[in-house]
Amino acid sequence: MAVRALTRGLLGFRYSRAATVASPCGGHHYVTAPSVKPPQPQADDVTEKILNQPLEKPDFFRVAELFSLKDLFDARVHLGHKKGCRHRLMEPYLYGCRLDHDIIDLDQTMEHLQLALNFTAHIAYRGGIILFVSRRRQFGHLVETTAMDCGEYAHTRYWQGGLLTNANIQYGPGVRLPDLIIFLSTLNNVFQQHVGIRDAAKMNIPTVGVVDSNCNPSLVTYPVPGNDDTPAAVELYCRLFKMTINRAKDRRKQMELLHGLSAPTS
Amino acid sequence: MAALCRVVSGLRYRVRLSSRFLRSSFSSDSGPAEGPVSGFAAAFDQQEVLRRETQSSAAGPKASSSGPELSFAALLRRSPLIQMGPAKDAVVVGRVFRVVRDDLYIDFGGKFHCVCQRPAGADGLQPGSRVRLRLQDMELTARFLGASTDTTLLEAQAVLLGPLDGREHQSRD
Repeated sequence: MAVRALTRGLLGFRYSRAATVASPCGGHHYVTAPSVKPPQPQADDVTEKILNQPLEKPDFFRVAELFSLKDLFDARVHLGHKKGCRHRLMEPYLYGCRLDHDIIDLDQTMEHLQLALNFTAHIAYRGGIILFVSRRRQFGHLVETTAMDCGEYAHTRYWQGGLLTNANIQYGPGVRLPDLIIFLSTLNNVFQQHVGIRDAAKMNIPTVGVVDSNCNPSLVTYPVPGNDDTPAAVELYCRLFKMTINRAKDRRKQMELLHGLSAPTS
Repeated sequence: MAALCRVVSGLRYRVRLSSRFLRSSFSSDSGPAEGPVSGFAAAFDQQEVLRRETQSSAAGPKASSSGPELSFAALLRRSPLIQMGPAKDAVVVGRVFRVVRDDLYIDFGGKFHCVCQRPAGADGLQPGSRVRLRLQDMELTARFLGASTDTTLLEAQAVLLGPLDGREHQSRD
């Protein structure tokens, strides 16, 4: 009973915007009087209902409507590198090779992109911190403005070694790490895998990454096989992620208003 | 012969129409009222109907060719990049999207852009102007000694032929 109140309290602290702090001491006092309910049951129940409702449907945020095969094709997402640059582990995601140029299978990309956007939406709905990472200098400004437009964070500069793994020492104790890292390009400037992918896997942080035909998709939680070099493709990804995150956050505000958790602000 | 092959393959994918409909399009042959029409006659009738359908749908909203029914394979096969064939010495039209002193960054619809030197007299080439290019390579890659994968320059290579005809004396404002 006390443990349940404690976990409820932690959940409430982490996710609820109304900052309900159910003190564990309250549970202890009521242990001997089972007929008396623990404090603030309604806020916790409503929060749990808000958090569990999106999990009932496979595509609660309808992210599949945001893009179509034609959009991906027109943004040149299917174009891969040359055959000699191909990574062995990307072969399942390739449709074929035409005159030495790899073509990425857009049918698979559609499925993977839908999964990735759905996951991003759920994370944003639950108030998670999302970090956009890309080491491509060509798209650094675009990624940073995308992050700013959806109220999340971006890191497009040199990645210091202990950024995630040594965060408590580098940034002070009790630092909150991102809940999701989105890689618009999984390679750094010397065509090696970005350090952030390995570090996120070490710290149990899920990653979404756009993997081109020369990238290693193994450590990425939600790989999205696609072109990461053409400006049109990267603009498409940024637009899709921004729309998903904004949609999820708006939905969360709507649900809270619906259940009367927060006062409506005009 | 090619028409017959196309007609036969069309039969495999299309739904068979009713025999009543097929018989109505027959003008000269007065065959028996019962019994399915088969062979070349059936195929001919079916193609007539399909042609009439495409004509009527072309007059109406054009959703058949560019709608969501096209698969990725069909889109790819009909795309200009595939229809072009080998990139060596192919003449394409590109668009300048960035100018850095004498270097023009030109995007022609491939994965990468190409960088060309501005020719001597062409000062009218601004960001947004369209040019003609002769492609040499869609992506500059090479395998060096001791490497397991190719090293790529993330650029295409093309020779600038000049501005698109008819726009030489126009400037974009």
